[in-house]
Amino acid sequence: MDFRPLNDTERRQLIHALRGNAESDRAILMDRRDTSFAGTAEEVPDEEVILAIRSVPCHY
Amino acid sequence: MFQAVVRTASQLLQDLQRSLRRQRGSGHQTSAASSPSPPKYWPLERLLLTDSVSRTLFEEYATHRAELRGEEETGWVLLGLRGPREALVLATLPAGALRDASTAHVLFNSAAQALGSRIVRQADRRLAMIGVVHTHPGSLRHPTDGDYRGDSQWVKSLCERKALRGGEGIFGIGTADGELTADPTVAHQPRPHVQCLGELRFSWYALGQDDAGYRPVPVELTLGPDLARPLHDVWEVIEIHADRLDRLYRQQAGVIFQVVSGSRGPRLAVNVSVAEPDTVVRVLLDEKEVRYYLDRGGEWLAAGFSEDRVDRGVYLLLADLAAQQ
Repeated sequence: MDFRPLNDTERRQLIHALRGNAESDRAILMDRRDTSFAGTAEEVPDEEVILAIRSVPCHY
Repeated sequence: MFQAVVRTASQLLQDLQRSLRRQRGSGHQTSAASSPSPPKYWPLERLLLTDSVSRTLFEEYATHRAELRGEEETGWVLLGLRGPREALVLATLPAGALRDASTAHVLFNSAAQALGSRIVRQADRRLAMIGVVHTHPGSLRHPTDGDYRGDSQWVKSLCERKALRGGEGIFGIGTADGELTADPTVAHQPRPHVQCLGELRFSWYALGQDDAGYRPVPVELTLGPDLARPLHDVWEVIEIHADRLDRLYRQQAGVIFQVVSGSRGPRLAVNVSVAEPDTVVRVLLDEKEVRYYLDRGGEWLAAGFSEDRVDRGVYLLLADLAAQQ
């Protein structure tokens, strides 16, 4: 295990992410390789993308 | 490690709550920069394609035209990120060999594209629908009236369900009527919304839910990936197994897709987590067969049965594992 304190930028980003998660339901991203904090983003639900793809009309 | 992150996050959240309480108590207003708000979108001012996405479109359009069905229309779904004033395309999902198409129409194989979107979004769940590209066999560089009827209804329907960020769709038209230039291996843009490479041309438009027609949208390139390009090498496999793999993905937690190299070329790998530590059910699929393995700490054990229905095969293997407990 490798533990280290967050630097100022990382700490600011994580607080920003937590605030976005608490106030706007924005996702907090985790690096799946090492579980480290990987930023924040507005996560798009699968259903939204699948609905859009499955309803693409015929083109002429 | 994750517990440590959660502890750190919890501590930070407590700090944050204390900070918010102090701010509220003192009447201090949080600045706009530090407080995220719902995204605000304006009409698209430009379309950004990564260089890899642009290469995919030109290369696969050229390949398509050389095939037996090259006279038919074809196309791609575009996934990416919608910014306030621009859209960035990061992934292309092809129409597929099982598309319904002729020289006058194309209906994509959406089952394969839906599974493709699940796979590519494993790595980045921000990816959203950006739009659609399709080709015309002649020289009509603009969507047809029939396209408008379908697209305007589609955009409106998605907007009503809040499934199209920014309320506009991007629509590309591919034609093979580009002007010959001195160097056909270098792309050029005769107009801001048009890209040409050799005889191939893509013209780009945007359409909002209340628009009476498409409007040309300037296109620019930036360096970046086509996140779905590795999937194109196994698209035939994705098309064959799309419905069953999609069902497995929805029913079973911890399903991860990968493209891996094999002796006969790229294969689609499906990894299914099981409760035992360091144990994974792995399925390798190519056009000819489906093979099942149990990976125990790096030691691969081949399953002794044959089952082309991949969801059934996985559940047979899981049932067998359960019986051994």
